[in-house]
Amino acid sequence: MERRRELVNFIPVAMLTLIGFATVYAARSAQIDSSSLSYGLLFVGLFLAVHLLMRMAAPHADPYLLPITALLSAMGIMMIYRIDPALAAAQTRWLMAGLALFAAIVIFLRDYRKLDDYIYLLGIVGVLLLAVTIVAGKEVNGARLWMGIGGLSIQPGEFSKVLITIFLAGYLHSKRELLSTTTWHLFGLPMPALKHLGPLVTMWGMSFALLLLMNDLGTSLLFFGIFLAMTYVATGRMTYPVIGGVLFSGGAVLAYLVKATVHTRVDIWINPWIEFDGRGYQLVQSLFAIGDGGLFGTGLGKGYLLFPSGQTIIPALPTDFIFSAIAEELGLAGATALIVLYLLFCYRGFKIAVAADDGFSKLLAAGIAASFALQTFVIIGGVIKLIPLTGITLPFVSYGGSSIVANFGALALLLLISNRTNAGRVG
Amino acid sequence: MNSSIRKLFYVTVALFAGLMGMLVYLQMVDAKDLADNPHNTRKVYEQMRIQRGLILASDKTVLAQNQKQDNLYYRTYPQGDFAAQLIGYSDPTYGQTGLEHSMNDYLTGTADEVELTNFVDTLLGREQRGADVKLTIDPKVQSTAAAELDKLGKRGSVVVLDVHTGAVLAMVSSPTFDLNNFQANWQQLNSDPDAPLLNRATQGLYTPGSSFKLITTAAALESGQFTPDSKFRDDKGSIEINGNVIHNWTDVPFGEHNFAEAFSESINTTFAQVGEQLGQSKLEEYQQKFGLYQKPPLELPPDEIAASGRYVNGQLASPGDSMDPVQVAWMAIGQENVQVTPLQMAMIAQAIGNGGKEMKPYAVDSVMDYNGTVIKQASPEMWKQPIRADTAATMTQMMIKVVNEGTGLGAKTAKVQIAGKTGTAEVGGNKGPNAWFVGFAPANNPQVAIAVVVEDADERGHDSSPIARDTLLAALGLPPGQ
Repeated sequence: MERRRELVNFIPVAMLTLIGFATVYAARSAQIDSSSLSYGLLFVGLFLAVHLLMRMAAPHADPYLLPITALLSAMGIMMIYRIDPALAAAQTRWLMAGLALFAAIVIFLRDYRKLDDYIYLLGIVGVLLLAVTIVAGKEVNGARLWMGIGGLSIQPGEFSKVLITIFLAGYLHSKRELLSTTTWHLFGLPMPALKHLGPLVTMWGMSFALLLLMNDLGTSLLFFGIFLAMTYVATGRMTYPVIGGVLFSGGAVLAYLVKATVHTRVDIWINPWIEFDGRGYQLVQSLFAIGDGGLFGTGLGKGYLLFPSGQTIIPALPTDFIFSAIAEELGLAGATALIVLYLLFCYRGFKIAVAADDGFSKLLAAGIAASFALQTFVIIGGVIKLIPLTGITLPFVSYGGSSIVANFGALALLLLISNRTNAGRVG
Repeated sequence: MNSSIRKLFYVTVALFAGLMGMLVYLQMVDAKDLADNPHNTRKVYEQMRIQRGLILASDKTVLAQNQKQDNLYYRTYPQGDFAAQLIGYSDPTYGQTGLEHSMNDYLTGTADEVELTNFVDTLLGREQRGADVKLTIDPKVQSTAAAELDKLGKRGSVVVLDVHTGAVLAMVSSPTFDLNNFQANWQQLNSDPDAPLLNRATQGLYTPGSSFKLITTAAALESGQFTPDSKFRDDKGSIEINGNVIHNWTDVPFGEHNFAEAFSESINTTFAQVGEQLGQSKLEEYQQKFGLYQKPPLELPPDEIAASGRYVNGQLASPGDSMDPVQVAWMAIGQENVQVTPLQMAMIAQAIGNGGKEMKPYAVDSVMDYNGTVIKQASPEMWKQPIRADTAATMTQMMIKVVNEGTGLGAKTAKVQIAGKTGTAEVGGNKGPNAWFVGFAPANNPQVAIAVVVEDADERGHDSSPIARDTLLAALGLPPGQ
């Protein structure tokens, strides 16, 4: 039943994808060759293969998440292809790697709850990945997020995000009783025993250390946000978000005062115009591009994204700023559709969490859904000047191998959770 | 846990709604402002694929042309800093200003009048070209005025108008900058306290001082309460109004004199009384009649033109805003926060020289497609009629007296009779005053009108009259000097 529905959902996705690539080809036929059409076909083929795998390995999994993800990825590859065909080839390889990891998890980790036994190991690996980046990573745009391994640049933070979500799901699941027992009150907020606040303080310390050492407000905010959301789900207490919010705000204010990069980001957010050709250039150009899009956009391939030299006008266009390119070429209509897709994705994710019948699954699904919601909000909000800009990827859409692979891993977990819940219901 | 998960989803919905709200704002509400932002070079780049039209002076001297590089046309300006603020620039990084900005549709061939030719060209596979824009600027007059200001080494501005048509023959703003390499000096040009990028002629707001007495006099004569022969007496060299003392320029008492003498000697005490008698509304009525409190309709981008008038805390006041009698008296002698642009003052001179008819100023004479076919030709148009012809004639006589025996002696020349009015406006601080000369020539058959302002001028304010004289002579095709 679920798989038939998934196949039906794939039909419009496949059509949109093929039309999209054909449009890019038509608009830029002078610059690119007809291989864009084969991209479309390859793409449709890949997701059909994944669908067949699901029929065998996880027949009861949620039927909406894969089509949504396929459409997001298609939008991403289409935009990347339009910006730089060579980059799209690389992204396609990453997509295949992501789908391979996805398949491996679906096949070999069907009983994902075994992960609960290894949470400390996973948590330590997650933290180590970050630590290695801090020590040996290279600095890009002032933030230390990248690692060079062989010829590849990877962002360990993306994997770390998923590992730490798994760790938190297991940890909070075992400690939720203690954390939700009130022993005293602080300004009217019910508080657990001080010793159980340890992890919260540790997590805050870790986020803040991330901020200071990696110079990256985005990653720090993302980790802490995931932690707060999951603690809230585990305990049902506003105490954690409130105290966490206060702690994080305090840390952010302190960072603003002592860290030049954070200070710059905030200043530019407040007024990018005074430094339109300096530090504010990227954001100002992003706003110009988005404004240019209007209601229906300039049309795929017809926007003004590249200098005549082929360089992108907005630096980091295929990665952090891909949303600006989409908003320009597909307009308010397309950009809103994209946000609705993410909302649907998160909705399915939270729904899976609600439906799940054990604490670990609930927490894991909620954590993954919350991490997608937060990451999407932080990067889109940044490029449209709703909040200060922080460089993280737009899940499934931005160019970036680590992001694609890690996110497909997380998606596989969500689908496995729903498969288990639904199978239980059917069986 | 389920209720917490649901709440988490509601938070997600709220956050995403925020994203959509901001997008609606950017793409629907703010889109036009973003597109018009001078730093938005997206359109400029796109248009660099089109061979942009030339900008020419009135004698077809090329002021702006193109240089092709990597299939893009870059702008070069053969005359360098000539009329730089008026012409403006068109640069992929720094955007567009001046006529390069406001005439962009013609220069790129996207204006309706040029569109058809371009469409045909596209069909025939010819390269698209913009239309050429010919200005009314006369290089001889422009260069003379610029050189005179340079010689003095002071900041200031000169505007010269054709009395009959309102055509701008010269528009100088000093210091200026070189349109060919401003990019390299961008930071310095922007932080320079002398503001070389500012078009002082249209955006520079100056205290008019006694040159404002042209407006007071027009109001006085047309009120019927005063004639050039009206008698006045000044025994003290100062006058007290409501406990406030207004001094003459040198504190010297002028004794018995008539209104024409008060005008030519610029006697503040007399004009303060005249202003007091006329009252605020009369003074403001004539300011509006001459076009103050609105932007002169020149072809420049609106944000490069300032309205003249009374400014309070940096904001243009509205006529009728309450003023006490002392303020009215101060206004009559061109103080009390009245701020004017050189263009506005030149237009006042033009109106008086043109029998009371104030013409629409214009700097673009014609637009031609690349075949040389004129697709747009400026036609002189009256903008306002602030005063009657007989008032203009009377004022001309009074202005002749200023040049021949009054404060404007520095503009006197045997070659032609010049009519004018000077002004020396205190600016405070330890800076010298702004020196004005506003007038036209020849007085008996006016052809060209002028406004000159020199900043930080010598104490007696004599810097501007010789500049006005030599520039007017150049405009009339005569050699400079007395």
